[in-house]
Amino acid sequence: MSTNKLQKAAAKRNQKSLLLRAEPYLWILPSIILMAIFIVVPIGYVFYMSVSDISKAGRVKGFAGLENFEKVVTSAKFAMVLKNTVIWTIAVVVLSTVLGFILALLLNNNFKGRKVARAIVVFPWATTLVIQASTWKFIIDTDYGALNTLLKSLGIISANVNWTPTPEAFFAWEIACGIFVTIPFVCFTALSGLQSIDESYYEAATVDGANYWQKLFNITLPLVKPSLTVATVLNIIYVFNSFPIVWTITKGDPASRTDTLVTYLYKLAFYNGKQGEAAAVSVIGFMILLVCASVYMVSTLKKGED
Amino acid sequence: MKRILAIALAAVMTLSLAACGAKKEEAPAASAPAASAPAATEKVEVNMIAAQYGTQTADWWADFVAKFNAANENINLVVDVVSWNDIYTVVNTRIANNEAPDLLNIDVFADYQADGLLLPAEEWVSEETYAKFYEAFLDQSVVDGTVWAVPDLASARALYYNVDILNEVGVSVPTTWDELMDVAQKIYDFYGGEVYPWGVDMTTDEGQACFAYYIWNNGGDFTDAEGNWTLNSPENVEAIKFIINMVNAGLTNSDPANETRYDNQDMFGAGKVAMMIGPNSIPTYCSVGGYDVNYAVASIPVNGDNTSVSAGVMDRIMCFDNDYTEAELAAVTAVVDAFYDDEPYSEWVLMEDFLPATSAGGEAMAAANPESAAWIEIVGSAKFYPTAKAEWADVKQGVIDVLQQALLGGDVQTLLDDLQAEIAG
Repeated sequence: MSTNKLQKAAAKRNQKSLLLRAEPYLWILPSIILMAIFIVVPIGYVFYMSVSDISKAGRVKGFAGLENFEKVVTSAKFAMVLKNTVIWTIAVVVLSTVLGFILALLLNNNFKGRKVARAIVVFPWATTLVIQASTWKFIIDTDYGALNTLLKSLGIISANVNWTPTPEAFFAWEIACGIFVTIPFVCFTALSGLQSIDESYYEAATVDGANYWQKLFNITLPLVKPSLTVATVLNIIYVFNSFPIVWTITKGDPASRTDTLVTYLYKLAFYNGKQGEAAAVSVIGFMILLVCASVYMVSTLKKGED
Repeated sequence: MKRILAIALAAVMTLSLAACGAKKEEAPAASAPAASAPAATEKVEVNMIAAQYGTQTADWWADFVAKFNAANENINLVVDVVSWNDIYTVVNTRIANNEAPDLLNIDVFADYQADGLLLPAEEWVSEETYAKFYEAFLDQSVVDGTVWAVPDLASARALYYNVDILNEVGVSVPTTWDELMDVAQKIYDFYGGEVYPWGVDMTTDEGQACFAYYIWNNGGDFTDAEGNWTLNSPENVEAIKFIINMVNAGLTNSDPANETRYDNQDMFGAGKVAMMIGPNSIPTYCSVGGYDVNYAVASIPVNGDNTSVSAGVMDRIMCFDNDYTEAELAAVTAVVDAFYDDEPYSEWVLMEDFLPATSAGGEAMAAANPESAAWIEIVGSAKFYPTAKAEWADVKQGVIDVLQQALLGGDVQTLLDDLQAEIAG
């Protein structure tokens, strides 16, 4: 009888441990299914489109190999658009990180109205990008813009100034708008990092006679670095893929001089009806971001091992 | 026990997710306005996607559907009204999923025709309805000698000018390009640059219209009589050089590559732009926008002794080839007949402030508003974009690009030669 009982007990244990082992997977199953439906399937479909011959009406006509990629890469505009995208991403991410960090340092101080100031910083972030971009477009408009009206009423200028005489100037304004809306995110990530720093470090440093800059570079920066790194990587992805600002202000005009990859592929897909080529641009963008993200992941994982 | 509960919960979540997925696919049918709900086993369903022209479009269609379904017990008409921003994506997705609508109201048709997705108009439009259309309009939807779509409405362009400004400067409305340059310069000098003499839109929004205004009024065209592309013809090059020169001379709004027609219309309404080429809907645009501008309408100026040509824009209704039974095709025809019936059709055109595509609609409009009679005449003689040609999407983007490159200092001849080579091969 004992063997029988033991067997039963063992079987029960087995069953239990199987359940135990399966449990975590069951818990994450909904997320996996969600991710599969909303992330993996669309990405897979874009890859499929990028190697397909697609008619203007959206019908897949067959396999096209790398033809779409070849057409995209050899087109006259692609290099310029890629260059714009790199400038746009680097300028917005770097400047917003620097400015956001400085703002976080300011907001980390104790001063009257700090809560209100922090709330105000959230505004650009909490407003829809299209509204933000439309507002900027309105501010810099030559004929009825707020900037010209303000400067005129202050007597600084007598006639309207064209703030966007060249495509480069337009692009610079778009970058400024991008920085403005990205600062809050960096600021709050940095602020959360700053607040987790123990005061005793600064007290010890003060006792040792360290000045403000020494404390900033030897205590604050190293301790905030992890939060800033996360913010930067997320920002690279957001900014690289950002569509509303450029689209609302210039639509990439004139002649694609202010296009980024995302606005360019939108026009390819929905204005020129070249969905295959648009998918190819999308895949190229995805690859660039994948490389950036992988470099980051590898470097942070390495640090974890160290 | 807790664990079992947890597993059960996870299973329920998973199932509900799966159910969500399934529901999503059924959504188009589920969201369709089920007009009269009884178990519609023998009912023939006609599925239509219609473009949203304005704020009243959806209501108009809902009313039309209710009336139509009440009058036709064996037909269930379902109309999805989709905004212009989304309609191409929606239609292409439906086509890709083999769920093409039966009827579609949109601007372009050539891409669908090229894929063999459409039925010839004579198969689904009754003779009675077919006879109502202006011949010139039907010609715009011909490929290989067959009419593939029928026009639902049109709009036309003409010169709008601010009467007060022209009177103050002491000039009369220009009819030729020479006069235009002269008048524009005088307006510029009079106001010291505070008023833009001439409104131009070379943006991605509608730069192709700008291209058309000048080439057509210089005797040029997108194609020759045989339908071959003639983008770099001497007339076209001369026309584009003319308008680029005008921009460079400072006689237009300051940033034509980024200021859309709507920006120009706003400036025209506010008295900041003295003259512009625009659609017949400008009066409504100005009154809705609260602008009180004293304007008048004239023919678009031409180069030399060419005849003034108005630019027409036309939208269409087309029928997808969904392997219809006789009853289904008859139902489609019934819907089309009901839409073009004089009373609802006139109401539709008047509501949207467009020009009718049928003679009966034209008469109704002229009777309702005598001023519109002139417009109906203009649209009757207008030229249209060659939208029946499969390369049109590329040409449209191409000419906008040429205009914008020329603004940046590119050579018009070289740019148009390159575009011609790219399009015509």
